[in-house]
Amino acid sequence: MHRGALWRLFYRASLGDHSYKFLFEPGPPDEAVALDCETTGLDPRRDDIVAVAAVRIRGNRILTSERFEAIVRPEDHQPGAESIKVHRLRQRDIADALPMRKVLPALLHFIGGRPLVGYYIDFDVRMLDKYAMDLIEVKLPNPQIEVSALYYERKYGNAPPGTAFDLRFDSVLRDLGIPPLAAHDALNDAVMAAMAYLALRDMKARGARIPRERAGQGPPPPTGG
Amino acid sequence: MPSAFDASNPPFDRLTQQEIGELRAALDIGYLRPGEAVLTPGQKAEHLHVIIKGSVEVRDNGTLNAVLGPRDSFDSRAVVHGAAGEDFVAAEETLCYLIPRALVLDLIARNPGFAAFFYSEVSAKLDAFARAHRAESVESVLRARVREASRGPAVFLDGHATLTEAAARMQDANINAAYVREDGRIGVVTGMNLAKAVLLRGLPLDAPVREVCHYEVVEVDAEDFIFEALLLMTRHDKRRVAVRTAGEYTGFLEDIHILGLVAGNSQLIPGRIDRARSVEDLAAPAQDIQGQVERLHRQGVKVEQIAEITSDLNRRLFVKLFELLAPPAIRQHGCLMIMGSEGRGEQTVRTDQDNGLLLDGPVPEAELAGFREAFSGALARFGFPDCPGNVMVRNPLWSQPLDGLVRQLRLWIMDRTPEAAMNLAIFFDAVGVTGRTALLAEAKSAMAGMMRGERALIARFANLVESFETPALGVLSTLMERVGVASDAIDIKKAGIFPIVHGMRAMAMDRGILATSTAGRIEALTEAGAFSHDFGRELLSALRVFMEYRLRAQLEAVRRGALEQEALVHPAGLSAADRDILRDALRIVRQFREMIRSRFNLAAFG
Repeated sequence: MHRGALWRLFYRASLGDHSYKFLFEPGPPDEAVALDCETTGLDPRRDDIVAVAAVRIRGNRILTSERFEAIVRPEDHQPGAESIKVHRLRQRDIADALPMRKVLPALLHFIGGRPLVGYYIDFDVRMLDKYAMDLIEVKLPNPQIEVSALYYERKYGNAPPGTAFDLRFDSVLRDLGIPPLAAHDALNDAVMAAMAYLALRDMKARGARIPRERAGQGPPPPTGG
Repeated sequence: MPSAFDASNPPFDRLTQQEIGELRAALDIGYLRPGEAVLTPGQKAEHLHVIIKGSVEVRDNGTLNAVLGPRDSFDSRAVVHGAAGEDFVAAEETLCYLIPRALVLDLIARNPGFAAFFYSEVSAKLDAFARAHRAESVESVLRARVREASRGPAVFLDGHATLTEAAARMQDANINAAYVREDGRIGVVTGMNLAKAVLLRGLPLDAPVREVCHYEVVEVDAEDFIFEALLLMTRHDKRRVAVRTAGEYTGFLEDIHILGLVAGNSQLIPGRIDRARSVEDLAAPAQDIQGQVERLHRQGVKVEQIAEITSDLNRRLFVKLFELLAPPAIRQHGCLMIMGSEGRGEQTVRTDQDNGLLLDGPVPEAELAGFREAFSGALARFGFPDCPGNVMVRNPLWSQPLDGLVRQLRLWIMDRTPEAAMNLAIFFDAVGVTGRTALLAEAKSAMAGMMRGERALIARFANLVESFETPALGVLSTLMERVGVASDAIDIKKAGIFPIVHGMRAMAMDRGILATSTAGRIEALTEAGAFSHDFGRELLSALRVFMEYRLRAQLEAVRRGALEQEALVHPAGLSAADRDILRDALRIVRQFREMIRSRFNLAAFG
């Protein structure tokens, strides 16, 4: 989802804290930030962020040595048992963490005006928007780069009607030959998204496409998990 | 992701927990486009790359030297020495960890184990990585069973046997201690007891042995651990303990036997060879020579030292066998010579017998025929496989009078087949082990005389180097994987050892150098200014690396009983550090082949 010029103008004008004006300046050329949030659930209105990680991408490099990582203490309610299972972050782990209003300023300074890269990045940005509105009365104006859209375009962009799409993150990684890391770790997810982004961006520049499986030779049906 | 960096992948397994932490914190990840040049020769690298996925081709003036894959790292020379030696080009979409140069240099300065990976000399690198196994050896000795080291037989003497009888029985059985039965008791008498009784106490030689034996027998069970036996020896201040197997005395365990477990029993073998009184007596020590190769290797002894020990023992064995089998005429007129790898002193695990006999004149034909069959046959029974090229005493071509052999050499020189060149090569490595060794010197100088100054002849000889390719590491595997065949084996003998050995032969022949070992030839050629001191060292280094990997492959083949695979090395089964060492060594061989090619203008042979 793209946030247009008019939208940016509006939020820039209504920015509560002008020390955050840098969010509206374009970031350094050829840089982006891969971002991932781990949350208590999938509803941005009700659920909270429990961990956030971001890495800068400069040119063809993922600067993991300059990463941003934080575990966040939810302020309203405790994480449900379901999300604990997914993220393996227990209440004990979260106890030492900072609340989002303390984490967000550092994260925003880390991101600056750079485009945000992620897998379903819109969800992560909407989660962050909730806190940003409280803090500086603005939604994140950064351009978004959606990994699954780049993947769709390289793989299914010219597909005949009726082709079944498979945009699961696992499938993206497998097609690109990216070794899967322990998933549901915010930093790992951000790094994997960054790797997928660099590979897909380069394929696009070279006009290379991802071959589609022929009917009957598709991946085995997912068996849960 | 940085947490996913594999710290068990050599050389990173040498880092401490804290150093791994620092490394993970400092990592970046780089994406390489297909065809992207990462490094060019002479370029300094700001990062050490460790491949996560994809592949990188290593090229040298357009020749593909290697294909690097996941877990391989590059390029240590560009990072440490500030200049890459080759081109590094991504072959496909590739992801790499990038370890900053400053951190690598810092870790090298702090951690010698890690630093070894970055040594410029390949054999030093190999040593450093082999050393890790060494500490295990003492441990494994202590956990060995008594039966693995103890020796029989158990000789029982009656208490009234005389000292002379006791000594003779022990001498016959080749043991230093015997059991004594006296009044239902069992005692022990040692060679030292006998000697002291006579020399110090002045007892007559016909005194009964019961007067010199002792009855406080310290014993262990054959199934006990060596460390239990060592404890008993220390506690009772004994150098030997009695060994029982299933309740019966079966022999003794002596401190020297335990030493044999640690250091191999190579020091015991010459004595056993010397004592042999028949060909059958030689079978056991011949077996031991082979057995100690494995033991020495397990204990981390360097391959060149194993080869030296082994070839020294083999020579003693050949000499003894010659003495036992050769009729007087052959002993008087003959020179036993060993050739090929045996002559160069570079054989470890037996691959074949390369030997021959030179005579200074005719000997009775029947005796000669009998000796040929007996000598080669005995070696075959001892576990020396027949030579596929039939370079054996059994072959009349290789056991004849001097003038006949010289005629034969001339025929081979004129003959333009590779087989003839190979025969000359094998003979060029000949060493006389016993008998009239002056005959061999004469034959060799005749051969040198025929070759001297004959550039075309020497070039033809050198051209054998071109018999086998030196493949680039990983090229084949990548290719094979693509077509779904998972074979990536490299024949280390053809790809690495032969080109160096034969190239040195050719250069030595060209300059009239008579040393037979490859190391000796390299030294002489360096002295003569044939190549730089550094390159000479690199070549010797590379040869030792190949010999080490080959020995590993051979021992593995012996274990599996698949001897035809004795020189095959599977790069995919090696650690990244081993692959890196092998890659370096193969690069050196290619450089050397290039040198041989231009020196002898081999392009002319097509």
